This record gives sequence, C-alpha cells and structure tokens, in this order.
Amino acid sequence: MNDTTNDPARDKGQDKANDTSLFLVDDHKLFLSGVQSELSEHFPIVGTAGDVDEAIAGIRKTRPDVVLVDVHMPGGGGVTVISNVLQSHPETRFLALSVSDSPEDVIAMIRAGARGYVTKSIAPDDLAGAVRKVADGDAVFSPRLAGFVLDAFGGAISPAADPELDQLTPREQEVMRLIARGLAYKQVARKLSISIKTVETHVSSVLRKLQLSSRHELARWASDHRII
Amino acid sequence: MATETAAEAEQESPVNRVRSLVVRRSDNRAALGLAGGIADRLGISDAYVRAAFVSLTLAGGVGIAVYIVGTAIAKAGDDITPADPPDGRQVVGLAIMFFGVMAFMRGLNLWFGDTVVWAGTLLAFGGAAMWDKTSIFDPASGGFAPSRTRIVVGALLLLAGIASLSSTISSIESLGPAISAAALTGAGFMVIFGPWVSSLVRDLGEERRNRILADERTEVAAHLHDSVLQTLALIQRTDDPKRMVTLARGQERDLRNWLYGPKSDGAGLKLRAALESAVSEIEARHDVPVELVVVGDMPITEGATSLVAAAREAITNAAKHSGATKVSVFAEVRDETAEVFVTDQGKGFDPDNIPAGRHGIEHSLRGRMKRQGGEAEIISEVGEGTEVRLKLPRGNHE
Repeated sequence: MNDTTNDPARDKGQDKANDTSLFLVDDHKLFLSGVQSELSEHFPIVGTAGDVDEAIAGIRKTRPDVVLVDVHMPGGGGVTVISNVLQSHPETRFLALSVSDSPEDVIAMIRAGARGYVTKSIAPDDLAGAVRKVADGDAVFSPRLAGFVLDAFGGAISPAADPELDQLTPREQEVMRLIARGLAYKQVARKLSISIKTVETHVSSVLRKLQLSSRHELARWASDHRII
Repeated sequence: MATETAAEAEQESPVNRVRSLVVRRSDNRAALGLAGGIADRLGISDAYVRAAFVSLTLAGGVGIAVYIVGTAIAKAGDDITPADPPDGRQVVGLAIMFFGVMAFMRGLNLWFGDTVVWAGTLLAFGGAAMWDKTSIFDPASGGFAPSRTRIVVGALLLLAGIASLSSTISSIESLGPAISAAALTGAGFMVIFGPWVSSLVRDLGEERRNRILADERTEVAAHLHDSVLQTLALIQRTDDPKRMVTLARGQERDLRNWLYGPKSDGAGLKLRAALESAVSEIEARHDVPVELVVVGDMPITEGATSLVAAAREAITNAAKHSGATKVSVFAEVRDETAEVFVTDQGKGFDPDNIPAGRHGIEHSLRGRMKRQGGEAEIISEVGEGTEVRLKLPRGNHE
C-alpha cells in the first residue's frame, strides 16, 4: 500500500532498502507475539523486549532501523526507552504503539522523540505501512493524533510565543484536518492538488513543532510527564 | 596538578565542613526544617532544639538571627539519618553550652529581662519534654505516652515557668486572678495533652484516607463488573468473529472514556459525548468500526442536536451501504462553526445517478441542516468512497 514511498534510493547506497530491521518492545507477551507474527512477514525482527532495561540494552546491541514501542511499561515506560536510546543512537527511529490514547501519553511520546503514534487497534497492513513510513524518515499521524494536534495548536497563542514553532500554517492545518477525517496521505495529496512528498513535508514539520513548540498546552502535558 | 587540587580541597574543606554540619529536613518540619536538621545531627528530639530557639529568641531576638543564618548556610533537603542519642555526659555538655550562650547574651544585654527569658525558657523546655516525639512513639512503652519521669519533669518545668510569669507580670494580674488562672491552666493542659490530641487527629486523618481508598476500590470493582466482565462473558458466548470485534471495540471505547474521558461535571451533555454515544450505538448495530475524532466541544443546543442527528444518519448510511471496512468521523467545533465529516473508503456512487434509496438520505440531511441555518454536502465517486460534510453556524443559535 505504501510501495511508492519505499524506493531503494532511500538510504545512501545501502543494499537492504526493503529490509527494515525491527525491534519490538511491549510488556504484554500475548500482544507482543501477535504483532511479531503479523510483522515478521514484512520485516526481519531483530529482537523483542518486555521491559525498559531489557529494551535499552537490546536496541543498543541489535541496532534496529525502527523500534515499535509500547507507552506503558514497568520501569519508566516508552518515554524512558526513547530518550535513553536516542542519546546514544540518535539514528534510531521510534513508532509508538499503545492501547492508551490519552492526549498526555501521545504528546509525551512524540516529545520524547517518537516519529509517530498508532493505537493497538490498527489493522496489520496499516501497521506495516506505518513502520515503512517511519523507516523512510516520515512521520506517522493517525487521525486521532491529528485531532490532538489541532486541539493543542487551536486557540490563541500568547504574545511571547514563537510563531515559527507555536503555530501551524494554514496549509499544515488543512493537512491535519484531512488526516483527522481519515484520509491517507495519498488522498490528502489529491484533495489539495499537491504531491505526496509535499504532504509528508508538511506532516514532518508539524511533528517538529509538536516536539519543540512551547505552547502552554503542550508544555503542560510534557511537564506532567517530566520530559522537559 | 595533584598538589593544586589538594590545596584547593584544603581551602574549601572548612567551609564545606561547616555547611555539611547544618542540614535542613525536607519533611516533618515546623518552619524551614532547620531545627529538625540540627536535632538529627545531634541525635536529640527536635522539640528541645525548637525550645532552645524559642529561648534564644527571647534573648534579644538572637534565636531568629541564628535561624536565618543557619537556614542560609544549610543544605536544604539533605536529610540525614538521625545520629545516635547522646549519652548523659553529652547531654550535660549541650545544656552547659546552651546556658553559656544564654549567659553570654545576658552579658551583652541582648535580653528582654530576667523574668521573661527564664520563664520562657522553663516553659519552652517543659513543653518540649511533653512533646518529645521519641517518647510519644516509643514502642517499648507501648505506642505513645511519654515516660513518667519526663512528664513529671516537664510538668514541673511548666509550673515553675507559669508561676514565675504570673507572679511578676502585672498585665496578666490586671486581667483578674480568675481569668489569668484559667488561661494559664488551659495553656498548661494544651501543652500536656497536645501530643496525645495531635496523634489522635493524625490517626483520624489516616482512617479517613483509608476509607476513601476503600470506597474508590469498591467503585472501580463495581464498574468493571458491570462493563468489562459482562462483555468478556458475552464474547465467550459468541461464535461470530465480527460480533466479537464489535463487542471488544464497544467495551474498549467505554473503558477508555471512563479512564481518560472528561469527567461528567453535571454541566449537561456536550457534543463530543453525544457523538460518542451515537457512534458506539451504530458500531454495535452494524458491526462496522467507526473511528471518531473530535476537536473542541460545545453544549448541546438545538442546532447541535440536529447536527448529531444528521451525523448519526450519515454514519448509519455509510455503515450499511458503503461496504467499507471502517467509517471515519471527524468533528471540529470552532468559534463560528461546528462541522462534522463522515468519510468512508467504500464503493461510493455516481452523484448524477443516485441509487434509489439514497435520494431520501440526501434530502433528509439537507433538510435537517437547513432548518438550523446550516448546510449538508455529499461528495462521492464510484470506487472512491463517500464523504458527507455537515456544517452548523454558531452564535445565533446558542
């Protein structure tokens, strides 16, 4: 479904463009094995872990391209895994996967450095597509995440705010609205008469703002989770 | 290099040693934790340290000055484990040091008068003997109840203090002997029974907390029983996988709402909640997952009621006829408008050749929205799914 974005030129001459190595982190053994069997058809799975320490050690050892990480785990949760691994291996890409989709959790994971957030009810094919997108360096916005973004960036900003980071451009808002309506990037592109690449650029820029913005809604969510 | 660092360390060490001598407690403190920190360092009860500060304060306010300086140099919140209690010789040493300082202050004339200072000192230490926490929670003597000698000593000190105060201070005498006697007796009782009362109050607070916790647990258990356990039982009795998914999704939505959703604050139903309940109902009836995303919220006005009704119709229609595996609903409330989009990736239809049953729906959606000054639009293409856009103006219909 996302074959268009999966072109071999993606990674400076590496010959395993289709072999995105994957690491799974989830403390629910049943769910872990389920996801593992679903995704092993699409990607080589280099390791799994059931808690924070195991995950950090395993990821540092196996150096996967993408890590699929649960939000709630004993020992600090996904946020701890992401911030620890990114310190030593900044090239690792994270996709958050969780049953929880309270805004606090979503925002905390994204601000810690996750490139996307999907809920566990996602269909297997969509999940594989999301992993590919993250591997390609794109951001993965589910309709729900787009909704949170519109909520968080809605309303007036304080005069002291940085308009570059604390506000969405009209175009970015349009893209978020269409994603919130359930449209895939391809359909968003067609609706706005722009290329998929441009949609991806907008989404990545929204992700960056989500991570760096000081809007008080985001700051509050983040400080609740002690990530700033 | 090595000599340099050694010299540096030597230069710094006296300051650091003094600083590390004084610590401040982070909890179980009366003011800034300084007295508690000193008490921990000396291994005595904080009550005596506080009494010493009170006495020094009567000595020309020196106590306050010492407290401020001590707080400034102390390391805040560096709790230390209390030192071992001093033996008899150390206690005598501390007492002599204290009286030495007091005599020195008297010599410097930093003094509010013999009667006040010495009576205050007697009262402070008498009270401290009563309040001494190490005796209140002494497990050897079976919980609280200070040891008998301490009560006697404390009471004698208090009596001596009260006597010396009441015999000299004319202002108290002018209040009349009865009143002053009553006031002094009351104060004495407070000091004597205070520790017992305070531990009683603490126990009551703890009991209340426990009861609240227990109540909460009961409520959680009741909720889980009515919802999750019932659904799990239903799922076990179902053979139809589609039905299982629907049951699980409905339960998931319900539980998530209970865990993270806005608390019902009696402010009446809101648009988000109305859409949520419509969506879960349709999901359950037609076994098609509906993904709902709501941005913003508004109270249920007449217009909002029509918006929800129209949305319900559009979602039902998509679930029933589109053949899509999923229906997406996006609602956004802004200052001027409230919009709902119902999108499916199903088979769609040709707008110029609307299938028979569809006419009515378009009609009904348009009619509903028009009556509220809004609009409805249906965009579809064969093979490309269908999108319904409902728009409600806000402000004049509040």
